[in-house]
Amino acid sequence: MNRHTVPALLPASRTTSRRVALASVLTAVALSTTGCNGLLGGGSSEDGDKGPIVLGMNIPLSGSSADVGPYMQNGAQLAVDEINAKGGVLGRKLRLQVEDDACDPKTAVAAANKLVAAHAAVSVGGYCSGATLPTLPIFDKQKIPMVIPAANSNQLVAQHLKHVFLINGTGKQQAAAAVAWLRKDGARNVAVMDDNTSYSKDIADLTSAQLGTAGAPAKATEEAVNPGESDYGPSVTAVLKSNPDYIYWTGYYQEGGLLIRQFRQAGYKGKFLVGDGSVDPKLVRIAGSPNGEGVYATMTQTPQTTPGAESWIASYKQKFGAEPGPYATQSYDAVRVAAEAVKAAGSTDGDKVAASLESLKGFKIFSGPLTFTADHTLSNGGFAILTVKNGEFVLQDSLN
Amino acid sequence: MSQLIWNGLFVGSFYALVALGYSMVYGIIKLLNFAHGDLYMLGAFSGYATLGALGGAVPGGSLIALLAVLGLTMLVTGLSGVALERVAYRPLRGAPRLSLLITAVGASFALEYGVRLVAGPNPQVYPVRLDGTGMSVLGARITLQQLALMAVAVGLMVALNALVMRSRQGRAMRAIALDPKACLMMGVDVDAVISRTFFIGSALAGAAGVMSGAYYGKIDFLMGFIIGLKAFTAAVIGGIGNMKGTMLGGLVLGLLESFSTDWFGGEWRDVFAFGFLILFLTVRPTGLLGERVTERV
Repeated sequence: MNRHTVPALLPASRTTSRRVALASVLTAVALSTTGCNGLLGGGSSEDGDKGPIVLGMNIPLSGSSADVGPYMQNGAQLAVDEINAKGGVLGRKLRLQVEDDACDPKTAVAAANKLVAAHAAVSVGGYCSGATLPTLPIFDKQKIPMVIPAANSNQLVAQHLKHVFLINGTGKQQAAAAVAWLRKDGARNVAVMDDNTSYSKDIADLTSAQLGTAGAPAKATEEAVNPGESDYGPSVTAVLKSNPDYIYWTGYYQEGGLLIRQFRQAGYKGKFLVGDGSVDPKLVRIAGSPNGEGVYATMTQTPQTTPGAESWIASYKQKFGAEPGPYATQSYDAVRVAAEAVKAAGSTDGDKVAASLESLKGFKIFSGPLTFTADHTLSNGGFAILTVKNGEFVLQDSLN
Repeated sequence: MSQLIWNGLFVGSFYALVALGYSMVYGIIKLLNFAHGDLYMLGAFSGYATLGALGGAVPGGSLIALLAVLGLTMLVTGLSGVALERVAYRPLRGAPRLSLLITAVGASFALEYGVRLVAGPNPQVYPVRLDGTGMSVLGARITLQQLALMAVAVGLMVALNALVMRSRQGRAMRAIALDPKACLMMGVDVDAVISRTFFIGSALAGAAGVMSGAYYGKIDFLMGFIIGLKAFTAAVIGGIGNMKGTMLGGLVLGLLESFSTDWFGGEWRDVFAFGFLILFLTVRPTGLLGERVTERV
């Protein structure tokens, strides 16, 4: 029976595949030519110059970090509304276009292409470093400047791309803050743990490189776990063998909560320090009530910990009916920085905007006056130490 | 050392419990049910929902409440498994095995993102937690809760073994595994037996889901993916289709992971586990306890 169906099928499938191939080639050609018209024709197709200036934003609205996305979107929208109320930029309104990158590299690439197709003038998104990294060449190739508000892996700026700027402290600065705190808090033997993602491994490697040097506490061990599992018993046992009195976890809160709980259940009595990806009340809930108390965190300023942000918090609350969360201020600042750069450049041309970003001097943002270094990062990371009190993260030490 | 063994056995008993469903379904209709891990996830979520619905009614005897929730959840996931078989697999029973496999992957996505639609993408935290201080046994730190969970897991496995080996139903299952056509001709209701197999396997996965939720605390809609792969690996290592082999495979996989983490570091855990899967598929595809099946043509 099979013998009859196979030859009958083959020619038919061949012609359809040929037809599909032809059609896809044609659409690809059509797409690329329209793309060229829109982007290379001076970036000045008729409606492009009169309509709103599009600010693209790739953030996680689903997946493991989905709860940060809305805070970032709201923060950015607040800035967009404020600027539009004052007449916009270059006589044009701003429009925020948000795409979901799901904290996943593949989804992020698709989302970045969508923003390119929507003729975004500047990208103001980026939370997960692992998902943001593969989008850099996409935006850079189309000369779309990126003002990255939250992702902070050193790899983002290590390629020295002309259009990539970080307005969050880098992994290097976070590692420096962690070591400064560990020293200040009298840590002796520190275990560093990461979850193998770009963001987390970056901070862990940079931190453990500094441990054991003059003045810094000793390094107990460095251990990585696979995210997404429930039982980290084997890793817990391995780390406890090195007898740490401080554990620095640089990954996200889901695994962080489980690890804290499993360390405590295994009888660990020392202290915990976690990275900014773990700063979420859920960390404490997953860890369980007594286990989560007193955990320290290296964190960039949140609205709640920034002095003088009360009026900003009030207007956020009035608009969105809820407290602002992590990275709302950074996203707010990203939009303002982008708008300022477009204004100074006098056009939405990517190269000009990037140049005016480079020449920004002391522009006021939440973490302090902003002037980009030659690496396109902040001159001052602005990391502070938070601690958990009654299930909430509160400011412990501003490390100044 | 003894701590490593204990860690391995504890994780391994979860793997074994989930792997049994895989193995039973494969043994009977030669289908790799890739949606099985997601029934584990469904179990965790339905347990979460039940505990939420019970509300403050259970603060006291949390272990007893959990056992009640466990029973209810097993019913829910068992029925979901039956529904899954009825909707997704039965219409394809005569189809090539590859179509079934792809349907299983599709069913897995449908379950994952269906739960995501209902429960949201964020991880949830179980309201009732098994928490306890550990005691030291032969240098290993063991908690009563771990012992209780293992006892439940072992109890379920023993009950399943008795069901398959001693009961009439079990005999029908084993007969279908040998030759479904002959069973049909001998008057066995093949469809009903297959449904029942799905019910039992899914109920066990659901039980493991609730137990994991109550012990670890965190559940999310993608939690079934990795454990599904691990359970599949366990089943292959022990001998897929063979029940005792599957239980053994779960424990072996747990121990392998525990020791490899200790020797090479946590990031090598999955590399080691799936490396062993490949090794077994090449060297001994029938697994530790599986016997070579001669194909009758």
